Amino acid sequence: MKQFSLILLSSLLIAGCSNLDRSRDLANPNVRPEVTARQLCSDCHGVDGNSVSPNFPKLAGQQEEYLVKQLQSFRHGDRASEQSYQYMWGMTATLTDEQIKGLAHYYNQYVIKLSLSKETDKILLAKGKEIFENGIPAKQSPACKLCHGAVGEGMATIPRIAGQHAAYLVRQLVIFQENAGRPGTPMESVTHGLSAAEMDSVASYLQALGG
Amino acid sequence: MVSTQRIDAYVSQVFVTLAILSALGIGFIFSKSASALPLFARQTGQSCLACHAGGQFPELTPYGRLFKLTGYTQGVRTDIPLAVMAVASYAKVSSYNGSDSSGVDFPRDGTANITTASVFCCGKITDNIGVFAQYTHDFWASQDASGSWQEHSHIDQVDIRYSDRFIDESHDFIYGLSLNNNPGVTDVWNTHNSAFAPVSSYVPAGNAIFSSSALPHDVPATPILEGLQYSAGLSGYIYLNNALYAEVGTYKASTSGLSFLHDAGVGGPGALSTRLSGSFNPYLRLAANHDWNANSLMLGIHALHASVFDDATLISSNSYSTFNDIGMDGQYQYLLDPHALTLLFSFTHENQNYSGYQHTANSFNPSDTLNYLRAKITYVFRARYGASLAYTQAQGSSDLGIYGASPAANTQANLSFNHSPDSKLWVPEVFVMPVQNIRVGLQYFKWSQFLGGQTYTYYSGLGTPSSRDASDNNLAFLYVWLAY
Repeated sequence: MKQFSLILLSSLLIAGCSNLDRSRDLANPNVRPEVTARQLCSDCHGVDGNSVSPNFPKLAGQQEEYLVKQLQSFRHGDRASEQSYQYMWGMTATLTDEQIKGLAHYYNQYVIKLSLSKETDKILLAKGKEIFENGIPAKQSPACKLCHGAVGEGMATIPRIAGQHAAYLVRQLVIFQENAGRPGTPMESVTHGLSAAEMDSVASYLQALGG
Repeated sequence: MVSTQRIDAYVSQVFVTLAILSALGIGFIFSKSASALPLFARQTGQSCLACHAGGQFPELTPYGRLFKLTGYTQGVRTDIPLAVMAVASYAKVSSYNGSDSSGVDFPRDGTANITTASVFCCGKITDNIGVFAQYTHDFWASQDASGSWQEHSHIDQVDIRYSDRFIDESHDFIYGLSLNNNPGVTDVWNTHNSAFAPVSSYVPAGNAIFSSSALPHDVPATPILEGLQYSAGLSGYIYLNNALYAEVGTYKASTSGLSFLHDAGVGGPGALSTRLSGSFNPYLRLAANHDWNANSLMLGIHALHASVFDDATLISSNSYSTFNDIGMDGQYQYLLDPHALTLLFSFTHENQNYSGYQHTANSFNPSDTLNYLRAKITYVFRARYGASLAYTQAQGSSDLGIYGASPAANTQANLSFNHSPDSKLWVPEVFVMPVQNIRVGLQYFKWSQFLGGQTYTYYSGLGTPSSRDASDNNLAFLYVWLAY
């Protein structure tokens, strides 16, 4: 029986040294992106990119080029908001370009699912829709759809925002407005004049928006 | 039919084999070249708040729970898998009432101390194996006959895991094995563990700040589930779809090849962890979990059956008492930056069935019961400013032999007037974390009941009985916690 235990447990240990199909190793470039996505990224972003917690963005159906750019930006430390270095810098530090492309493709293939929302304030949603479609000319804030697409689907390095968690969107809008770690986009000037209520309304509208 | 002895022998072999392989695994880590100082945060490159609610130990986030359940294997294996922790503290008790020598009974009261320091050897070993192991040094462990302080180093928490995860769009199945040294160190909701539980004290207890029996830091009667630290445990667990958790384990005495899980200095040769009978002292843990939006809710049950030899000298006589614990627990979390809110509770009912020897020598009753409740609410803002309120309560059978019998000569003891273990302790706390490696906190231990009432009998170190109020034990506790 003792020998059996030794053989069994030795086998487990040896098998555990390298397990490319179910590895959670971020330092191994041979781990396939879909394995990393499922074994690691899914903890926060969901296995199909539909995260449960609004602390973490939904990645399902996100534009591939946008995801590649963001992951590279995390890896290089260019995207430097508080949450970026708290959660993402370490997770991307050792990813190869090939793994990043694979991760972007993995999440792009899934369909975003709308979160159940308790938001029933029709005035709020209507105001959000107005900002999305027409912007706020008095504050020189252009319509979201001009860049993010008619239904917020995004294009290339411009992200999908339709269906995204409202809390996540608001946080990003504040980061852009305060120039707090997401440089290199026109969003600082776009958000310059937005009030907290306006951010809340457009984010609530976008969370409920399919597209 | 397989005999009990054969089962015991087989489980013992599995324990020892796992221990050897774990040691080999740890050696494998050390064999790598060194270039950095790591721990789990260094392994994932993330901040503490990714795994700990609001960045404060010990409550885990949903991600932190998955990190632990997947065997500490997520991320990059670090070159030096070491981290360090130290605690400095200052404690001031409410009153020296009943003490005929405050210097003897409250030796470190009103004195700033570097209290404890720990070294952690942790992290990913292979794709499937990881370790959490803590070694602690107490600077004020005990006093010798001349009153000189003795330091003491000892093994603390140990959890060595093998885990695997099968996940696709429709299923998420995690399973694993854990070799550990107490029930509770494995639990990702911190339901019962002296260091991790939703208890009063955040900092390591058991040091000299609290060592005097005149100055209790926790309720005086706890179920055996809370007292099995330094035993040897082997458990298997599954976690299905982030919804159902099941763990089955067994505990045995941490002797012979498993003595590395045991602390002889703290526990002593007659410690409970060395008196467990046989290899089959089963532990069961079931939990249902549901995450939605920024919320997470868990409801669970836990149970332990343990047979404990009455005395280290009586092991060969096969005289043992049995303890049956069963309880329920729960946790609610709301985590949305910058807010982190955690509510925990754990209730355990214990039946204590004494052997003939124990009944004759110590307990007045042939059996006793104990109901034990812990609850805690913690809020942290911006992973920097926090407050918590903890409550611990024990209620049980009155037993003259256990809670009311006079001690041996010159022995410190707390005795109940009505032979009752009933005690209630509140601990509010405020803390600040200027950076994630430093925490400064102030706790206040408030006793609303101690050993069955508002007063109890205290035997000082000189063996003199006197009356002392429960509130005399109220305590202000200031600490600075550092980790790297």
